[in-house]
Amino acid sequence: MQRFIHPIGDYVGQIESQLNFHRKLAAIVLLVFAASFFLPFFFARENRISAEIPVGISGLPLLPTLLLLIPPTMILLYALVRTPKASERLLSLGAALGLLAPLVVLAYVGPQMVSTIGPFARYSPGSGMYLYMTSVAIVYLMKVRIGIGDYIGLTVALAVVVVLGYRGSFDRLGILLEARNFGTRLSREITAHIRITGISIGISVLVGLPIALATYQSRRIRKLVFPLLNVLQTIPGIALFGLLIAPLAALSQAFPQLREWGIKGIGNTPAIIALSMYAIYPIIRYSFTAISSIDTSVVLAAQGMGMSSGQVWRIVRFPLATPGILHGIRVALVQTIGNATLAKLIGGDGLGVLVFEGLGQASVDMVLLGMLLIIVLTVVADRIFQILITVLTPVSLRRERA
Amino acid sequence: MTTHPVRPTLEETPSFLKAEHISVRYGETVALNDVTLHIPTNRVTVLIGPSGCGKSTTLRCINALVKTSSGHIDYGDASIQAMSETDLRRNMGYAIQSVGLMPHLTVEENVDLVPRLLGWKRSERTERVSRLLKLVRLDPQVYRNKYPHELSGGEAQRVGVARALGADPPVLLMDEPFGAVDPLTREQLQDEFIRIQRQLKKTVVFVTHDIDEAVRLADYLVIMKDGMIVQADTPEQILAAPANEFVERFLGPDRSLKRLSLFTADHCCLEQVVSGTGKPSEAQLPRGSNRCYWQVDDDGKPIMGYTWIHNRIIERPITGSTHTVQPYSSMKECMSAILSLGMPATAVVDDDGRLYGEVRFETIQTISLS
Repeated sequence: MQRFIHPIGDYVGQIESQLNFHRKLAAIVLLVFAASFFLPFFFARENRISAEIPVGISGLPLLPTLLLLIPPTMILLYALVRTPKASERLLSLGAALGLLAPLVVLAYVGPQMVSTIGPFARYSPGSGMYLYMTSVAIVYLMKVRIGIGDYIGLTVALAVVVVLGYRGSFDRLGILLEARNFGTRLSREITAHIRITGISIGISVLVGLPIALATYQSRRIRKLVFPLLNVLQTIPGIALFGLLIAPLAALSQAFPQLREWGIKGIGNTPAIIALSMYAIYPIIRYSFTAISSIDTSVVLAAQGMGMSSGQVWRIVRFPLATPGILHGIRVALVQTIGNATLAKLIGGDGLGVLVFEGLGQASVDMVLLGMLLIIVLTVVADRIFQILITVLTPVSLRRERA
Repeated sequence: MTTHPVRPTLEETPSFLKAEHISVRYGETVALNDVTLHIPTNRVTVLIGPSGCGKSTTLRCINALVKTSSGHIDYGDASIQAMSETDLRRNMGYAIQSVGLMPHLTVEENVDLVPRLLGWKRSERTERVSRLLKLVRLDPQVYRNKYPHELSGGEAQRVGVARALGADPPVLLMDEPFGAVDPLTREQLQDEFIRIQRQLKKTVVFVTHDIDEAVRLADYLVIMKDGMIVQADTPEQILAAPANEFVERFLGPDRSLKRLSLFTADHCCLEQVVSGTGKPSEAQLPRGSNRCYWQVDDDGKPIMGYTWIHNRIIERPITGSTHTVQPYSSMKECMSAILSLGMPATAVVDDDGRLYGEVRFETIQTISLS
């Protein structure tokens, strides 16, 4: 007898297995939530570098504890409820509250906590809270799609945080205290970081694109360029920064004019040079691939139609390679924002100043502030570039990327 | 065995495009060996042969995409080596198998490419695109702003042909232009090509590996092998007298059937047909084993065929497109329609499907004997 599998039966089976998968995920999320309750939820410090005083869930008053327990309860209900619509709503609500609850608790418990310790006391989120937030993030990833309800939830959470901040509830939060201590220097370092990154990317695009074209045109240049790039890529970042000090110092000694322009062994110049050398690899690689993966028949047809080689580039190759080239620049940009942190090590500016000075002063909050700003910069730059790529990709080619 | 390059025999037709003793060598490999070819003006020259025979190379020599190692190609009075490559190519439409439509440009921008390169006025170009799209039977309103990925294989090929005709070049080079589509679409495209060529009378050089396509389209058939011309003549001559065993094998065992591809339906279509809107009475249906009566509907479209077989009137419903032919259909298709309908003749219908005439089996017989 032949076994007959009804197509609809098979479909139900698929949904069933998907549901089971999500139950397992929910179980994992609940475990992570549970673990977060055993770790210190907040830290308090007497001053910026004194020892941490951990505060666990057990140390919190009843009401905040209950508030923190609501989101995991909702996830638990989600795993138990079988109607898809209700369970999806529970997931949305659980996620939004999961985002909100720890922040509200932090805003109310934090100031109370530090008021008894001293005038310079401050508080920061602890590992328990990070873990708690991680499980909220997993909940968002679990969602089939991010719906309008989720956006409302996120907006409400953000609004509540802004209102709380405006009322001064976060005044004693470690990283905000650090930011305030930096004052105008903070915005200066942010601009410096953006400037260093921008100049490096600009240089590597200006140098990299012609090299990419040359590697495409000539096999001999290709054989030279790619091994060289590979070697360059294997030099550790810090080493490359250091290696540039000696030759640039010698150069500025020999030609004092250069020193006036800011070209010397330490500072932003060697950092920019090193960063450009790193960024050039993805730019050349991606551009080369983008140009050489253009359908040969399209180019043949263009030539056969009587386009000059300049026209073939202008009308055919460049428009078709643009998305690939932009992807290369995007990869280089994201990588450079991170690497620019190292500029501080050779006397350059940027957010590396916060990270390395924070490390030097053993101020965790300061390091955290620097890292957080770098992450925000990276994410924002990445988003902007993705939008740029979508806009500049010819309409007919967008479909292929989707 | 003779494998000497054979001189063209269409001597009465002038030729302004002449390849004289051209050879192409890549290092040790000889891609073309002393090929002499005079392309008859305003006719279709088809180059055919097994893969690697040099047919595409010959074509690409003509528009200088491949450089000849020796010999020369003359375009009018000048040698193409002396002309600017871009000028030369803009005077020659070029259509290739994979079409090579620019994926980021609309149908209009693709067709418009060569006129744009030549610097035509915008108003002139817009009108030209509409005319070309209509010529290849694509509605300009519908297709103008579509992108290549939105087209079917057959539609893309049509746009490819329209693009090749863009600036109304005297010469059209086509490298297996219908190679990448299904057999049905290919046949339609061939029909269209014949129709367009009758209208425009371009000097066409057409490369294919499909012998049926070659026999059907060629005024002048050039059979190539190993970089040399084995036989070059009218398809009629070649089918009647293959130069050697290779040509004979290449043409295949059904040569007489292939000959039918040389003629189109309108060539021997009888416009005097017996037809009416009702069922025929015995008096209306002419006696004789190869006479037909066509019943048509109110629009004049044939719906039923009647004939005498052994003193009995038999009727055959006309249902699909395989039961009728069009004026540009080949005699081979007529033969097929006759067989599939089971009648001694097939109805010829015009573009709107209305009865236009009939092609009789006996006519086909006379032709294949001639």
